[in-house]
Amino acid sequence: MDISAFVLFWAAIFTSNILLTNFLGMCSYLSVSRELESSLGLGTAVIFVLTVTAALNWLVYNYILVPFEIVYLQYIVFIIVIAAFVQFLELLIERYAPALYYTLGIFLPLITVNCAIFGVSLFMIIRNYSFIQSVAFAAGSGIGWLLAILMLAGIRRKLKEKLVPVGLRGAGISLIITGIMALGFVGFSGIVQIQ
Amino acid sequence: MFQRILSDIALMSAIGVVLAAIMVIAQRWLSNYGEVNLNINGKRDLTVKGGNSLLATLSDNQIFIPSACGGRGSCGACKCKVIEGGGPLLPTEKPLLSKAEQAGSIRLGCQVKVKSDIKIELPEAIFNIRRFHSVIEEIIDYTYDIKGITFKLQQGETIDFKAGQYVQLETEPYEKVKQKVMRAYSISSKPQINDRIQLIIRLVPEGICSTWVHKYLKVGDKVNFTGPYGDFYLRDTDADILFVAGGSGKAPIKSMLEHLREIGTNRKMTYFFGARTTKDLYLTDEFRAFEDVFEQFEYVPVLSHTLPEENWNGKTGFVMPYFKDAIRDPKNTEAYLCGSPGMINAVTKSLIEYGLSEDKIYYDSFG
Amino acid sequence: MDYLKTKSTTTVLGDDMKRTPQESKIMTKMQPGVITYGGFLGTDRRDFTQIIADDELTLEKLGKTAEEIADRLEYFQQQSFDAFESNTIVEGIYEVETEVVRGYLPCPFMHQGIYRKSYTTVTNTRTGKSFSYSALNIHLIRAHHFFEGKKSHFRMEPDELVKQLF
Repeated sequence: MDISAFVLFWAAIFTSNILLTNFLGMCSYLSVSRELESSLGLGTAVIFVLTVTAALNWLVYNYILVPFEIVYLQYIVFIIVIAAFVQFLELLIERYAPALYYTLGIFLPLITVNCAIFGVSLFMIIRNYSFIQSVAFAAGSGIGWLLAILMLAGIRRKLKEKLVPVGLRGAGISLIITGIMALGFVGFSGIVQIQ
Repeated sequence: MFQRILSDIALMSAIGVVLAAIMVIAQRWLSNYGEVNLNINGKRDLTVKGGNSLLATLSDNQIFIPSACGGRGSCGACKCKVIEGGGPLLPTEKPLLSKAEQAGSIRLGCQVKVKSDIKIELPEAIFNIRRFHSVIEEIIDYTYDIKGITFKLQQGETIDFKAGQYVQLETEPYEKVKQKVMRAYSISSKPQINDRIQLIIRLVPEGICSTWVHKYLKVGDKVNFTGPYGDFYLRDTDADILFVAGGSGKAPIKSMLEHLREIGTNRKMTYFFGARTTKDLYLTDEFRAFEDVFEQFEYVPVLSHTLPEENWNGKTGFVMPYFKDAIRDPKNTEAYLCGSPGMINAVTKSLIEYGLSEDKIYYDSFG
Repeated sequence: MDYLKTKSTTTVLGDDMKRTPQESKIMTKMQPGVITYGGFLGTDRRDFTQIIADDELTLEKLGKTAEEIADRLEYFQQQSFDAFESNTIVEGIYEVETEVVRGYLPCPFMHQGIYRKSYTTVTNTRTGKSFSYSALNIHLIRAHHFFEGKKSHFRMEPDELVKQLF
């Protein structure tokens, strides 16, 4: 594919936002967006984990799965790689940056089950991205996810609960807001092609 | 075909094994801090296993820093000076340390992780605090919600404490309580007996330890505790004494009086025991007996809410108006108060009005 | 319109994905035997966030804020402290007594600060209704709008509190 990595990066944030366009990573997005500070922490961790696992999975795919013809096992292998990496990262941060560990580290186990992480790895395979394209796409997706969760957290903070009908408080109104944001992002579609 | 399946499975497993091996090595390398040197006050050097909090590491080496929240970073009781090797100040510590403390290398013992050689400073009194193993020797029911429990020390251990100090009991898991907790109780027996202690324990609503003690503890059960803690103790002078303590505050007073009976004294002493009804009275006979032992000791229970059918002939109301009769020379009178801050404040105010000097009023405000 | 209220049917400690890690830790701290003997949730199957939200709704209908209730509870406690913790009559109709024992309790919401073990009982002598609460409860109501779960030992219904104590 001949799309520049630079374009992919921006596309992943706006026109093909992993959360608002592809609806991946909703679970922790809906719950953690209750607090703005937690959202920032989780989003930052997601960016980092996404980028590195995309790179790792690309390498594993092209240098182990393809040569040995076990491409059909990619789902299992990707998940194992993601889990192992997150675990490793947690140990590393705890040892070398304890202050960072206290602010960020608690989110790492939560990220392992974030389907956006797995989704990006699958996308890069389906769309046949090169290594640089994959990394750019992953980084952009992470930033796009952070953007989405920050927006929802900000809106939820401004929205005092008592303005919302009782039946919609919590998950209900969050999903409606997300839908409206997604509609807004639809306006970006068609600007660039990413596959 | 079959071979293909086998080889693919083998490959999958190999990938899994490789990743697992990497994780194990990473765990070993990253989480293992080996043994490090812990230097205390420039004099004592301990070789300890790295990786745990300072509080836990010291506790493993029989040095007990006080902690009110069990090492969770909520209370700030575990503050100590870390001269070097404590790592950067953590966000969990900042809220509990003032700017002056942070500048003075004060850290929270329960948050600092011992990862490399570390130098700390502790007050000397801490070294007297030890962990004791005991067996329940006696349980006395004093009132409907107060028990007196005697703990006999095991393994030839003895405890060195001053009358007025307290210990921290360790509970064992029971029912829905899965973890151990530490709860503080004043020692009610005299320091001259050093192979057993008595604690007076009141049943507190929703109390983890007092429920355990009242419902489950039997004679013969094993219990551990640490101590002694506290700087509430009798001063060795000739001054007159006013004791004021109600409810479970009676425990340290009992310890002090038994201690005085042992060493002998002719100080003039009065103990005001404030309570609500006759149901709250306990150890009355023992304290009346002190009146016979000491030349000048008076036990004055004051009840505030007796009903007519109780036939109470003693003093009523609050204790403070009765102080006047007990004070002969306010400048040569010490006061020992044990109870809540509210009680301590009210009584201290009253005593100062009667002419006592504030620095002769000693109190234990329950923590 | 009760059927429109969202009811959480998830089990108490499961569903960690729907909670922030902080909330999971708080749920653990609220279980029996961690901070208090019976815990803070009683037999309630709701998440603590749901309990708070439902009680806040009740408070809105009553026109009182949680802070006002906490201030009132603290006022009663202070009156009995000033009276040397003995039984005291406040405003002619409330009988208040406070007991204090040694030790502190941390807040299950895991911020710094510990609270004295002082237990206050207020009885409205006109109606005979009594309320028992600790210093920690005053803080939970004021800072977290948390009245504890149903059937918890120190649970006080907001509407009862407003009716009886004001």
